[in-house]
Amino acid sequence: MSARLSAAAAGKALAAACDSVRPGTADDAVGAIVPSFVAAPSSTAQASALLRACAEHDLAVVPRGSGSRLGWGAPPARCDVVVDMLRMGAVIEHAAGDLVARVQAGARMADVASVLAKAGQEIALDVPGGATIGGVLADALAGPRRLRYGTPRDLLIGITVVRADGMVAHSGGKVVKNVAGYDIGKLFTGSAGTLGLITEATFRLHPLPAARAWVTARVQGTSPEVTTMAAAMAAAAANSPLVASAVELDRLASGGPISVGVLLEGSADGVAARAEEMKGLLSAVIRSGDAVIRSSDEAAPGAEVVHGAHAMITAPASAAPDCWGWVPLGGDDATLLRVSFWVSALAVVLEAIEAAARETGLRPFVMGSAGAGALYVMLPAAEAPGVAARFVGLVRAAIPAGRGGAVLLSARAPLRAALADDGGLAGSTPGLALMRAVKDQFDPGHRMAPGRFTWA
Amino acid sequence: MTISSLVPRMSRICGPGNVVTDPLELRTYECDGLTSHRATPALVVLPCDAGQVAAVVRECAAAGIPFVARGSGTGLSGGAVPREDGVLIVMSKMRRVLEVDPLARRAIVEPGVTNLAVTQAAAPYGLFYAPDPSSQVVCSVGGNVAENSGGAHCLKHGFTVNHVTGLEVVTPSGELTWLGDGTGVPLGYDLLGAFTGSEGTLGIVTKVVVKLTVAPQAVHLVLAGYATLAEGGRAVSDIIAAGIVPAAIEMMDALSIEAAEAAVACGYPQGAGAVLLVELDGPATEVEAELATVMKIIEAAGATEVRTADDPAQRFAIWKGRKAAFAAVGRLAPAYIVQDGVVPRTALGDVLARISALSASSGIRVANVFHAGDGNLHPLVLYNDAVPGEAARAEEVSGAILDACIEYGGSITGEHGVGVDKSRYMPRMFSDDDLDTMQLLRCAFDPASLCNPGKVFPTPRLCGEVPGHHRAPHPAVVSGDAAAAGGDQGTAPQSPPMEIF
Amino acid sequence: MSEQPSTDHLKDVAGDCVHCGFCLPACPTYQLWGEEMDSPRGRIHLVSQLLDGAPLTPATATHFDRCLGCMACMTACPSGVQYDQLIEAARGWTEHPDQAPAGPPARADAPADAPAASPAAISAPARFARRSLRDRTTRAAIFAVFPYPARLRALTAPLRMAQRTGLDKWLAGSGLPAKVSPAAEAALRLAPPSAKRTAGQRLPERVAARGPRRAVVGMLTGCVQSVFFPQVNAATARVLAAEGCDVIIPRGQGCCGALSGHSGRHAEAMRFARATIETFEQAGVDAIVVNSAGCGSAMKDYERLLADDPTWAARATALSGRVRDLAEFLAGLGPVAPRHPVPVTAAYHDACHLGHAQRITRQPRELLGAIPELRLVELPDAGTCCGSAGVYNLLQPQAARELAVRKADSVLASGAELVISANPGCTLQISAELAQRGKVIATAHTAEILDASINGRPR
Repeated sequence: MSARLSAAAAGKALAAACDSVRPGTADDAVGAIVPSFVAAPSSTAQASALLRACAEHDLAVVPRGSGSRLGWGAPPARCDVVVDMLRMGAVIEHAAGDLVARVQAGARMADVASVLAKAGQEIALDVPGGATIGGVLADALAGPRRLRYGTPRDLLIGITVVRADGMVAHSGGKVVKNVAGYDIGKLFTGSAGTLGLITEATFRLHPLPAARAWVTARVQGTSPEVTTMAAAMAAAAANSPLVASAVELDRLASGGPISVGVLLEGSADGVAARAEEMKGLLSAVIRSGDAVIRSSDEAAPGAEVVHGAHAMITAPASAAPDCWGWVPLGGDDATLLRVSFWVSALAVVLEAIEAAARETGLRPFVMGSAGAGALYVMLPAAEAPGVAARFVGLVRAAIPAGRGGAVLLSARAPLRAALADDGGLAGSTPGLALMRAVKDQFDPGHRMAPGRFTWA
Repeated sequence: MTISSLVPRMSRICGPGNVVTDPLELRTYECDGLTSHRATPALVVLPCDAGQVAAVVRECAAAGIPFVARGSGTGLSGGAVPREDGVLIVMSKMRRVLEVDPLARRAIVEPGVTNLAVTQAAAPYGLFYAPDPSSQVVCSVGGNVAENSGGAHCLKHGFTVNHVTGLEVVTPSGELTWLGDGTGVPLGYDLLGAFTGSEGTLGIVTKVVVKLTVAPQAVHLVLAGYATLAEGGRAVSDIIAAGIVPAAIEMMDALSIEAAEAAVACGYPQGAGAVLLVELDGPATEVEAELATVMKIIEAAGATEVRTADDPAQRFAIWKGRKAAFAAVGRLAPAYIVQDGVVPRTALGDVLARISALSASSGIRVANVFHAGDGNLHPLVLYNDAVPGEAARAEEVSGAILDACIEYGGSITGEHGVGVDKSRYMPRMFSDDDLDTMQLLRCAFDPASLCNPGKVFPTPRLCGEVPGHHRAPHPAVVSGDAAAAGGDQGTAPQSPPMEIF
Repeated sequence: MSEQPSTDHLKDVAGDCVHCGFCLPACPTYQLWGEEMDSPRGRIHLVSQLLDGAPLTPATATHFDRCLGCMACMTACPSGVQYDQLIEAARGWTEHPDQAPAGPPARADAPADAPAASPAAISAPARFARRSLRDRTTRAAIFAVFPYPARLRALTAPLRMAQRTGLDKWLAGSGLPAKVSPAAEAALRLAPPSAKRTAGQRLPERVAARGPRRAVVGMLTGCVQSVFFPQVNAATARVLAAEGCDVIIPRGQGCCGALSGHSGRHAEAMRFARATIETFEQAGVDAIVVNSAGCGSAMKDYERLLADDPTWAARATALSGRVRDLAEFLAGLGPVAPRHPVPVTAAYHDACHLGHAQRITRQPRELLGAIPELRLVELPDAGTCCGSAGVYNLLQPQAARELAVRKADSVLASGAELVISANPGCTLQISAELAQRGKVIATAHTAEILDASINGRPR
């Protein structure tokens, strides 16, 4: 059978399976590959028929939500069909009395949030509102409040997936407490489309907090004293019985000031009192520090100077500070590295990033959930791949072995190539052989986003 | 290879003192906390470190002999019931707390460490280990991982899976590997999450990295007595509707109150039809505010008696009754079945009414102890095994309760696991396709089906089947003749299927 | 008259166990080894197997022997299993294998009707479970000496002489006793420093109440207590007198039978019990105060021990009803004598036969806590046996030693300068282990500290 004939047959089969199938365009490209088809199923049944047709015609499939993070990871080696999930955007069930909601995978976070807010509830994942449920699960995306509520896998209680062979499978259910059978939902969180297609998910919800307050402390000084102090503040905040929902850190310029931001949630009175206490706690850390603090930063309105002129704590605010919860995308302009570690190694990690910056001359931008052991590091993508690879290597080397790592979420081809023999995008991956075995079982033909991961 | 020929090899690996062959001694391992399922293992080994576990598993894998891991033997679903043709690997000698990192809020422990011992090791740093099964004084962390154990406080704090960030495991082929790196930041498939709660069928845990939680500033326990379960249930719904997520909401009915009282003299309200326990924890200011709301709701629902406790000794005394309830029911009847079904919280009233009706029509008494906050019921179906037919009727009632849970959109098990006890109910909750998909995971980890076989799933898929193609079930499977199902592979399910890929 | 409770009764008792496992962490031997067979749940399972007709294998007998009889499992058990009855029956079977439910099996390597045999049939040779000659000799020697104060005094005289001359240190250093017998080595290690010769070693038969009389009490002097710790008995009598009691100390009293009963020597235990009942019946007292936890526990149990003996059952019940531990009695009586300060940081160690068997934990702490300037600290493993357990430290020296090590660790970590306990065995055990490490931490009986506080007697 000629290629053209088989493509025509495949197109026909896809159209029979799904009522929205069109040819792919340059806008649909995944990496450098323009897919032959873009199919948008309207239901799990259609998605099932679609994937069965893809299986029969040996078509490689890449699921797509909002499309914002399709550039993460290695680009798939093949992509015949992009499955666009945006038509499946409904909140199927919101059982407010049970604090659970079942939603379709193409639903955008912001839309889901507005439905749930009517009953004063939320999925406690502060990820970008434009992201889809399926995308958030597939990329295991989490925002600042991961410290208190965990990552998507901690809130997911049930899932419906379409396997590579088109079979529809459920796991979990719609009750929060449930240990019947294997948790396939966990397996699919972080799967990046390589195991199958997520079509529906059920989440446990939390009541929306009545009040929120942010306390921010900024310190500037010489290394390593300043990184030590920032790390001490982050750890103190995260380990405090005041129960911080998030402890974030950012350092927008290498050698520049470090901000530690703490979010408190709860009742209006409670939050106000706790924010004051948190401010006191951070002040105490700064006062007890032996940092040689160098120069002052401009004083923000309402800021209270607590240690000479060199560190300041912003009075509790009811609005989020700038950049709060921003998940960097990476892309063509920037290389995005996610560094994870045990919080006890925070100072070591911050110092390693500074040292790597000094050695390579790169100017990293650091932000993320310091209290939960996850930071994003952005580097300008234009740098020579060898230099960036060196930076990544230095950071990886500094993280205590087996207790974290540095994963390149987004990197251009030259950098990927430069790292190919040096841990690749992920560095060392625990359970690699098992990941490969799982991929082989779920997608024996390696047609689901093939090549996204080294093992898949 | 026969099992007896493994004895000298196992003795070399674990030391002769740690290999059990005496028939009476072997039989003490015949069951876990659920005594209705028993099988005497052919051999018991008690390894002392991860290397020994791996070596033991490699011997079993090479010989094609099934193996089962066991912790403290307190499971309530028969998940650690041994195989008569297999080796039981007992983890109770591996019980060191290896490291506590208070700054990172992590501890590394061996699997035989008891749940409570983790909290005891964390306490000096103002931390605790949140999952708290009622059996926490004795149950092992390894067992908790296998079952994804919950506990009274998982309503707010989550289950074992939410508090384990790394596992060192021995795979069913005997490889030592890590799942997760302790950070809680995912990388690739969440194998750590999938492994947790897999009931010992995907491998054996040899080290556990647990997340520690900051001890709350304030803890307040409210005990309320009600004339009926329905009134207590109303209080529960209203608390949740008020936007409060307490650390725990527990209920006990009259029968279980009676049993607990007899066992530990917990001093619960006399003659109450239901006792409700609500525990609030967190920052002092928040707990105060929540307590005021909760007290109003509890009284409005018709409480006959309300007590509050905020110091540890008082709280311990109140919790003691609840935590002893299961074993205490042993005083009410010679035998009982513990169920573990879950229903959506809003369906609690309906399902409890259904259980009373079932009890009335069958003449089988059912005591109820349950995690009301998350709809996890623990009906204790009481019977006398000396009365002919009573065990069968109890089993019937028990199955009907699970059916009701499924009907209302719930689950057959909230925290005890499926084990050998509830595997036959799995098809009522999951489709063949769902179960087949779960088997893909099993085949990725344990293609030879040697690791705790016969648990969780009614009819295991043979990993030799070409995966990915949807086929109708083999006729032998449909007819329930499982032994014939392996015919086209030339093997019976009891013995390991050939690995053909 | 049968020596053992009926098989049916024991089956009922064993049937109360729901296999929940709550007893495991409470059990000292499970703490040591983590093996099911050396846990209460496992031992109950073994007893059930024997009751169902399985032959007593040597391995099984070993697990019964290793039980300390501390009864911590009974405190932990939510189902109320009467473990003490099961283990005593099991000890009887190990003493007299012919009395085991299955009787002595034929002397074949594999009994024909072994219901417990695993399908895999890796059966160890289930021979007649007779103890080794050395074990039997040790036991015979212990039970021929310990219950008889006069023999104990005579036999330990050379030992006490050895201590005075420093011979003991030389002996211990030589390793000779361990070569002779582990039990001999343990006995030497555990023997208390020879008691200070107090004026008039023998207590009077009657000590009059100071001030108005509030009660007339009998006092048991005990075997080990009277030989090694006469000063504890003296202190007990003084404290009771100070609190307004006439104390009657019958001359003819012998062993209460605790050591025998706890070791499965039922006939011997009953013989001692009858004699003790007779002695105290004649004393005409309101209560019988016992300062040794093991003795008190045994005497409270006469009721059950002699339940099947028609001529003695009622008398046993009456006597058991009048037995009080010293702390229990004093706490119930309430203080009248003024207390003087005893400035010390002390740890109270629960003797198992007081804490678990008699469930008396609150009263001694209340009495000690009421002493001015005495700071009471809790041991983290307060509920766990120190390894002394009657004669356990002589019969199972290795396990006993390991438990002593743990207890000594916890005592040292507590910061206590003084360890107080209500059982001579415990204080011997703990101080011996501390002495091995060159640590001198004083040990005392509750009575001695109360005596010091009330009567100003320096210890």
